[in-house]
Amino acid sequence: MDSKTLRYIVKRIILAVVTLWAVITITFFVMKAVPGDPFASEKAVTPAAKAVLEAKYGLDKPLFEQYLNYLDGAVHFDFGPSLKQRGRMVTDIILDGMQTSAKLGLIALLIATVAGVLMGSTAALKRNSIFDRIIMVITTAFVSMPSFIMGTLLLMLFSITLHLVPANGAAQGGMILPVVTLALYPMSYITRLTRSSMLDVLGQDYIRTAKAKGVSQRGIILHHALKNSLAPVITYFGPELAYIVTGSLVVEQIFAVPGIGRAFVNSITGRDYTLIMGTTVVLASLIVIMNLVSDIMYKVVDPRINLE
Amino acid sequence: MTNLSASLTRRNFLRAFGASTAMVTLASCGGNSSSEPADGGEGTGDAAATGAQEISVCLATEPDTLDPALNSAVDGATMIVHLFAGLSKWEKDGEKYVIAPDCATELPEPVDNGDGTSTYTYTLRDGLKWSDGKDLTAKDFEFAMKRASSADLAADYAYLYEIVNGYSEDGSSEVNIQATDDKTLQITVDTVVPYWNELLAFPTFFPVREDVVSNEGWATDPSTYVSNGAYTMTGWDHNSVITVEKNANFYDADEITMDKINFYLSDDANNMLSNFQNGDWQLIDDVPTNEIASLKEQYPDEFVVAGQIGTYYVGWNVNVDILPASAGLSGVEAENARAEIRNAIGLLFDRNYIVEQIAQGGQVPASSFVSMGLTEPDGSEFYKNAGHNDGYVGYYDVSADALQSNYDKAVETLKKYYTFDEASGTFTDVPALTYLYNTSEGHKAIGEYLASAVGQVGITMNLENQEWNTFLNTRKAGDYTVARNGWLCDYNDPISMLDMWVTNSGNNDCQFGKGDHADVAAYSIDLTDLGYDTKVDGGTWADTYDVIIDTIKSESDNDKRFALMHKAEDLLMSTGAICPLYFYTDLYMISNKVKGFFSIPLGYKFFHYTTVEA
Repeated sequence: MDSKTLRYIVKRIILAVVTLWAVITITFFVMKAVPGDPFASEKAVTPAAKAVLEAKYGLDKPLFEQYLNYLDGAVHFDFGPSLKQRGRMVTDIILDGMQTSAKLGLIALLIATVAGVLMGSTAALKRNSIFDRIIMVITTAFVSMPSFIMGTLLLMLFSITLHLVPANGAAQGGMILPVVTLALYPMSYITRLTRSSMLDVLGQDYIRTAKAKGVSQRGIILHHALKNSLAPVITYFGPELAYIVTGSLVVEQIFAVPGIGRAFVNSITGRDYTLIMGTTVVLASLIVIMNLVSDIMYKVVDPRINLE
Repeated sequence: MTNLSASLTRRNFLRAFGASTAMVTLASCGGNSSSEPADGGEGTGDAAATGAQEISVCLATEPDTLDPALNSAVDGATMIVHLFAGLSKWEKDGEKYVIAPDCATELPEPVDNGDGTSTYTYTLRDGLKWSDGKDLTAKDFEFAMKRASSADLAADYAYLYEIVNGYSEDGSSEVNIQATDDKTLQITVDTVVPYWNELLAFPTFFPVREDVVSNEGWATDPSTYVSNGAYTMTGWDHNSVITVEKNANFYDADEITMDKINFYLSDDANNMLSNFQNGDWQLIDDVPTNEIASLKEQYPDEFVVAGQIGTYYVGWNVNVDILPASAGLSGVEAENARAEIRNAIGLLFDRNYIVEQIAQGGQVPASSFVSMGLTEPDGSEFYKNAGHNDGYVGYYDVSADALQSNYDKAVETLKKYYTFDEASGTFTDVPALTYLYNTSEGHKAIGEYLASAVGQVGITMNLENQEWNTFLNTRKAGDYTVARNGWLCDYNDPISMLDMWVTNSGNNDCQFGKGDHADVAAYSIDLTDLGYDTKVDGGTWADTYDVIIDTIKSESDNDKRFALMHKAEDLLMSTGAICPLYFYTDLYMISNKVKGFFSIPLGYKFFHYTTVEA
């Protein structure tokens, strides 16, 4: 790795840390500015009880001190106890949710990428064939359909009508529909991306040169076309991951998947401050890191890219 | 407690115990359903092989806690009554719901100590054990009750101990509860109340063991969860499913027919319905509001509307002036005028329409604040004795026939204060009102109806919705004019609804006796007919309402208590600040393969004695 790349990576890492700090700070103060508190319920908590709880969780300290305490904890990966789920630590709740969400997200990511690249390149190579057209129609449909509609349709068809898979994401086989729902959009997007990029590459001079030199069709596709046409797919990796992370919020809700997305949504409505911060930090880190990785990979795949 | 309504997923609990109220019964019989066998999800293989009974149900999402002292949700209470056994328990006796001894051999009457206090002495059954095999003693009850009522624990329901001698909100003293030996527990109370035995069946009064709860996270993991009830927790896959299995150490284990219960955790009514429809879950405690009508038709035997003790109402902020500037009234006169106006506006609403066309869940139109289901000492319904015997139940006639006369009466009253334009039949100078509700389709639909109803007479009512937690905050702070409100009772006694309106109550959303209203001397009470020397003419809210409630709380004579509670409700309703719309119901779906199920109007559901047909 040359020093320029190294410098770039270091710079990006510093930027990532600053980004995370900004996310933590903004979330912390916005969260505290929102009316309501974690101990609110229709039945009012007595002032004495509320005081005990606030003291217990350090919410009676000045806001800025709470912020500093939080930063201190977060640096050590100590997110504190959940304010709503008494007796549980935020880290445990997140790890619990992450196991499920990561499985869901990674499988969806894998399916979307592999299927997308395969279908996209096939469509490009067989341009204007029936196959190409069918793929384009289907992927257009999937790209334009929001995941909550897709999820609901799949649920009605495969779970309620056909009884093939359970509707509850936590049951055995229950992850199938959420994975498919989550994968369809990025898969379609990647298909279209790969197809146009591949078509672009196939029209390049060097492909013609390779052909002229007698390289086999297979060799051309694998060694020249595919690699070069993947650059946009790799740049899409960052947004794709962001989609999967945010999309899982919706999908986990529809299929009752016990993932981090649901924990996140519930923490906000319940004003579970520590859990809001914990999930925000984890999700934001994930997106920041993946964007970083995707940028670096972009450089690896296409050395012409000037990182500066 | 809470109010919740269809949209909130976690129902805050406690609903009052329903005692003898007639309620629709659940376990329906016969019929066929298209669903698949009961073993949903995972792990049912073994059970099926050995013929063991297993049921999968979904009440709500992940409970905040399953610590009996800390729990404040109905779904949590249902799980806890399976996992723990208190001194008493709920049972179904024919069509009635009764309290029976559980860990106690019997439920004795208290002994008067002659100093104003009374003592209950309970004897525990022989051979009581915890799920880990250790002996359960009266000391465990003493420890648990002292813990639950302590200021340090800051439990939502600690206040249920307020009638116990020595209870203090701030922890300055400890409740007078003593285990005199391993099997005897003495509880001394300041006031003898008719609902005491019901309180003992409430999770806040259940035993926990000191060494178990010394680990703060004990109630979040099956490996550290030690209980004493019919079931023991064998699995908790967070946000997914809580599994409980029959506890071999339970004293009454032979009577328990259901071997294993999977409490699936979901907060999505649509998802619950999908799982019910495909046969994976046999009971779901929530249904999508917009599907109610079709579900009722599609599943006549399996869609259940059960009684629930609570009232859905509209609350006014008494500190917001709704008089026109030209009225020129102030002080007591202005308050009396506002009360008249609020009461008149309450007459414009067609509660039958709300119940039948909007809520659609079998709710009952309400004409009083204290809910249907709360009973008098003689067993009659409190709400049927409310009001002034004007030829209808409650404070106004909510029958469909009275719609026109109510409307006319309302217009007549409003004309006294506002300018009426005869040509258009509308009032021209009523200040615009804003109706605040928490975000939900159901509340919105009701808000829209209310706005259209007052709109007919020219009153503008804008709608504003806020997300739940913000809404609670706004309403408590009194930053509103008119707001949706609701209340589910804590126990079968009207005081559980009436005491929320004392000046310093944390639930006094109408702001009675607060702000400007603190000085408004517009109220009168006369308790002399009941033998008290209390008579106030032209007193403030604190001089009157607060006094009645205090009197009720220190009165042990049940007939007098109820007479006082009617007086309190009369005073409350005279303000017009509470506009009841309907009494709540509990909607759920249960597969007709399930036999032996029952639920009580508090919302607790009992699976102990169920079986699921193959």
